[in-house]
Amino acid sequence: MWSAFANPERFERLAARLVPWFGWGAVILFAIGLPWALIISPPDYQQGDTVRIMYVHVPSAWLSMAAYAGLGGASFVYFIWRHNVADLAAQALAPIGAVFAFLTLATGSLWGRPMWGTWWEWDARLTSMLVLFLLYLGYMALRAAIEDERLAARAGAILAMAGLINLPIIKFSVDWWNTLHQPASVIRLDGPTIHASQLWPLLVMALAFTALMTALVFMNVRNMSLARRAEARARRKIEGGEG
Amino acid sequence: MKALRAVFVREWRLASAGGGGPAGPAAFMLAALALVPLAIGPDPDILRAAAPGVIAFAALLASLQGAERMFGDDLSDGTLELYALSPVSLTALSAIKAAAYVSAVLWPAPVIGFVAAMAYGMDGPSAGALSLGLVLALPGLALVSGFAGALAAGVKRAGLLIALIAAPLQVPLLVFVAGVGRAALEGTGLAGANLMLAGAFSLAALALAPFGMAAALKGRLE
Repeated sequence: MWSAFANPERFERLAARLVPWFGWGAVILFAIGLPWALIISPPDYQQGDTVRIMYVHVPSAWLSMAAYAGLGGASFVYFIWRHNVADLAAQALAPIGAVFAFLTLATGSLWGRPMWGTWWEWDARLTSMLVLFLLYLGYMALRAAIEDERLAARAGAILAMAGLINLPIIKFSVDWWNTLHQPASVIRLDGPTIHASQLWPLLVMALAFTALMTALVFMNVRNMSLARRAEARARRKIEGGEG
Repeated sequence: MKALRAVFVREWRLASAGGGGPAGPAAFMLAALALVPLAIGPDPDILRAAAPGVIAFAALLASLQGAERMFGDDLSDGTLELYALSPVSLTALSAIKAAAYVSAVLWPAPVIGFVAAMAYGMDGPSAGALSLGLVLALPGLALVSGFAGALAAGVKRAGLLIALIAAPLQVPLLVFVAGVGRAALEGTGLAGANLMLAGAFSLAALALAPFGMAAALKGRLE
């Protein structure tokens, strides 16, 4: 069933149909989530209003890791089956994931200043998040450095799969090392330890971010697929065939 | 087996003939470690506390020095294509090349690390533990550098790319080797655990990186 979407044109049609759904979904969710998280939800009894940074920070962190998981998965599919769409997806995910990783680091840093008294702390989770950001940069730099499109795709896929090792390190860094960063409080076996008045806006924001990222990724895939086809057509024209 | 031995010997000869053997990375590591006290000041307490991390970091950078040559030369002069045509698998060849890289080029790192640790004011046993940590970490450093080198083989200005690819993947080794030295220095009793983790990372790299290198090289040769 999945191989049906390996056809770029079919995938493109699907993407074109899905983009408005996710895009408008994101708009609606942000319209609910932003005021709820940034204005209505109560300030934290310890952190005061700075807790509101969390509503951007946590979804960004989740998505930067989810995007990397997607990048690794798409790379695996491309590496084994050579589906072009998988490569396009990987290429589309990388810059978006990198932006979310950067957002995570930036908002964490802004929050850390009043709360921990420092912009940056070399603690395990911050460091492994920075490593994730560097992995994204390395992936994009490698792809940009190799001119041959197919070679770049293969090399990138191998690197992306190797970088997957970092994901569990980020996830469990707060449990393995005694860190300044607080342990998980939402996804736990014994249920969330975060209060419902903060959990709900957080979940809405997380959904909004997810919808936004999905829309952006589909748009990016479509753009690249169109660009590739335009380039192929231009090349055919230059080489003398009919366009 | 015979072919692998021949490749190993060839790597050794190439390393010591054209590349000055271990001189390049060793000189780099020495220079880096000699500059650190000038940068952070001669305070013995600070130097001693910084020693494990600084030395592990210098070793990591030194391991990147030869990574570009590891596959780049073989690709440009066609050796790699002959390797690919031979019945020996590229995976085994990659592992052998990494082994040759460690034993012919990187081996002084633990020695330099030991000397530098003493010079920075660490006590003998701690310096020895740090040095042992470097011994265990070297295969991992070489394998990850080699993996980055294989991915970036034939790319212009590959050095920068190799650093960007390899450094994030080498972070655990950096943490564990520095952890060995720091634990030994502070007597927390965790030096052994850090040693084992450094060794474990090297073993994991040995299990995975040769396949990654071979896959990257195959892509290059298509």
